[in-house]
Amino acid sequence: MDKSSSISREWIVKKILFVLAMMAVLGIVLIIVLVTKESIPALTKVGPFNLFSTTWNPKTGDYGIVVFIVGTLLTTLGGLLIAVPLALGTALFLTQMAPQRMGTLVTRGVEILAGIPSIVIGWIGFTLLVPLLAALTRSAGTGILAASIILGIMSMPTITSIARDALETVPSSYKQASIGLGATRWQTIWHVILPAARPGLLVAVILGMGRAIGETVAVALVIGPATTFPKSLTTPTHTLTTKILMEMGESSGLQRSVLFAMAFALLLLSMGMILTVRLATRKKEFAR
Amino acid sequence: MQGKWKTGVIGAGLVLLTVTVIVLGGCGGSGVSGTVTLSGSTTVQPIAQEAADLFMKDNPSANVTVQGGGSSVGITQVSEGTVNIGDSSRGLKDEEKNLGLVDHKIAFDVIVLIVNPGVSVDNLTGDQVKGIFTGSITNWSQTGGTDGTITVVTRDSASGTREMFDEKALGSTKDQPVSLVTGAIEANSNGVMRQKIASTRGSIGYISYGYLDKSVKPLQFNGVTGNLQTGLDKTYPLARYLHMFTKGEPTGTTEAYIDFVLSPEFQNDTVTKEYIPMTKVNQQ
Repeated sequence: MDKSSSISREWIVKKILFVLAMMAVLGIVLIIVLVTKESIPALTKVGPFNLFSTTWNPKTGDYGIVVFIVGTLLTTLGGLLIAVPLALGTALFLTQMAPQRMGTLVTRGVEILAGIPSIVIGWIGFTLLVPLLAALTRSAGTGILAASIILGIMSMPTITSIARDALETVPSSYKQASIGLGATRWQTIWHVILPAARPGLLVAVILGMGRAIGETVAVALVIGPATTFPKSLTTPTHTLTTKILMEMGESSGLQRSVLFAMAFALLLLSMGMILTVRLATRKKEFAR
Repeated sequence: MQGKWKTGVIGAGLVLLTVTVIVLGGCGGSGVSGTVTLSGSTTVQPIAQEAADLFMKDNPSANVTVQGGGSSVGITQVSEGTVNIGDSSRGLKDEEKNLGLVDHKIAFDVIVLIVNPGVSVDNLTGDQVKGIFTGSITNWSQTGGTDGTITVVTRDSASGTREMFDEKALGSTKDQPVSLVTGAIEANSNGVMRQKIASTRGSIGYISYGYLDKSVKPLQFNGVTGNLQTGLDKTYPLARYLHMFTKGEPTGTTEAYIDFVLSPEFQNDTVTKEYIPMTKVNQQ
C-alpha cells in the first residue's frame, strides 16, 4: 500500500515539476515570438538601411537606431572598465588574503550592494553624481561618464561574487606548489591563480555585462537624454533601453514597431552573451 | 482530534465570509452596466484611462477600454462606428465636419514656454523661438539676454504636446516637418520637463499650464503671457481643447461615462493636475 502511493505521488510531483519547468521555456518562446512579430513592420516597411542610419525623426520617416546602439555599447563598456578592476581586486582580496572576519564583512557589503534597487542608485546618481560632474566639467554632467559610473557600481557585485567562486575553485595545491617553488604572492596570483581561473572570470565579466546592458531606469536618469552621438563623456546621449522607455508611452504604428525592433536588438545582444558564456565554460571543461 | 475539528470550523467560517464579501461586493454598486470603447489621441489617453478606472470602480459591471492611435485615428474610428468615443487633441478639420460627430470638450490646455530661473530673458518672438529650437540661435545674448549657451529641452518624439508645439510655435507641417537642433535633451512628461529646466543652466522648454511653479520661469510668447484668458480669447496661440467625439448624442453607458468625465469631481480632482478643467473655462 505504502509503495504504490509513494509511486503515484512521485509521478504527480514529477509532472508538476515538468510543467513548472516548461513554463520558463514557454515564457522565453512567447517573448521571442511577440518581440519578433511586433518588429516585423519595422523590418519590412522601414527596412535595414533606414534602421541602421544615424537620423531619428519619426515625422520624416527616419528611424535610425545607430545612436542608441552606440550609446548602449559605450555605457556598457564604460561600466565594465570601472567594475572589472574593482570586482577582480575585491575577489582576489577575498580569496587570497583577507582574514576571515574581514572577508565576511566585505562579502556582506557586496551582497547588500547587489540587492540595492537600481532606481535608488540611479536617484543618487541623478541628485549627487550629475551635479558634481556638471560642476567639475562645466557641462550638463549627464552622459556616458555618469551612466558608466552607475553601471559600474551595479555590475560590480555580480562580477565580484562569480569571480570569487571561480578563484575558489582553483585547487590549493597550485598555490602551494607555486609558493613552494619560491614565487612571491603576487607572482603566484598573476602567473598561476588568474590563468587557472580565467574561464570562470570571463563568465563573471559577461554576466556583469548582461546586468549593465539591460539596465534602464537608472541610466535614463543620468544619460541626458538626447538623440545624438555623445560629443564628450559628459554630453547627453541615448541608449536602446532609455529610448524605448522614453517613447513607449505615447508611440503608435510604425514608431512603436521600431521600438520593438530595438528590443529585438537587445535580445540578440543578450543571447549572444549567453552563447559566449556557454563557449567559455565548455573550454573550461576541456582544460581540466 | 479536537484541534483538527477546530481548524475545520475556522476554515469553513473563513470560506463563508469570503463568499459573502464577494457576493455583497458584486451586488454593491447599483450603477450602469455595458461596454464603452475609446480610441484616439495619446494626449487624451491618460485622462480617459484614469476616468475609466474611476468609472469602473463606481460601476463594477461597466467595462471601459481606452486605446491610443492618434487624434485622426480616433475621429475616423468613431465616425465609422468602430468605437463609441473618439479622443482628439485637435478640433475637427473641414472635411470631418459633416460626419455627424458631437464634440465634448473635456479640458483646456495652454502650453507655456519656460526657462531656467537664471535666464535673464522675459519674452521671445516667434522667430526667436523657432531659431532656438532649430539651432540657428545658440546663445542667450542673441536674444537680448546675458551671455550663456542655450540648452534646448523638448518632449519625446511620440508626444502629442510636442506635436502641437512643433506645429503652432515652430510652424511644422506634415509636408515640411521642422527638424529640431541636434542634441536637444528629451523629457517624456510635463513633470520631467519641469525638473530638467529647473536643474539645467541656460535651458528652455515648454509645459502645460497646470504644471507651472516657482522652480521654472515662464516666458511671454510674442509679448503675450500664456494663461487661461489669453488662451481662450486666442491672443495666445499655444492653446487647444482636448475633445471626446461621439457619433450623434451619446446614450446609455457612453453618456454616463462622458458625464463622469465632465463632472466637477473628476474635473477638479484629476483634470486640474495637468490641464485647465472645464469647470474653470466655463466660469470665464
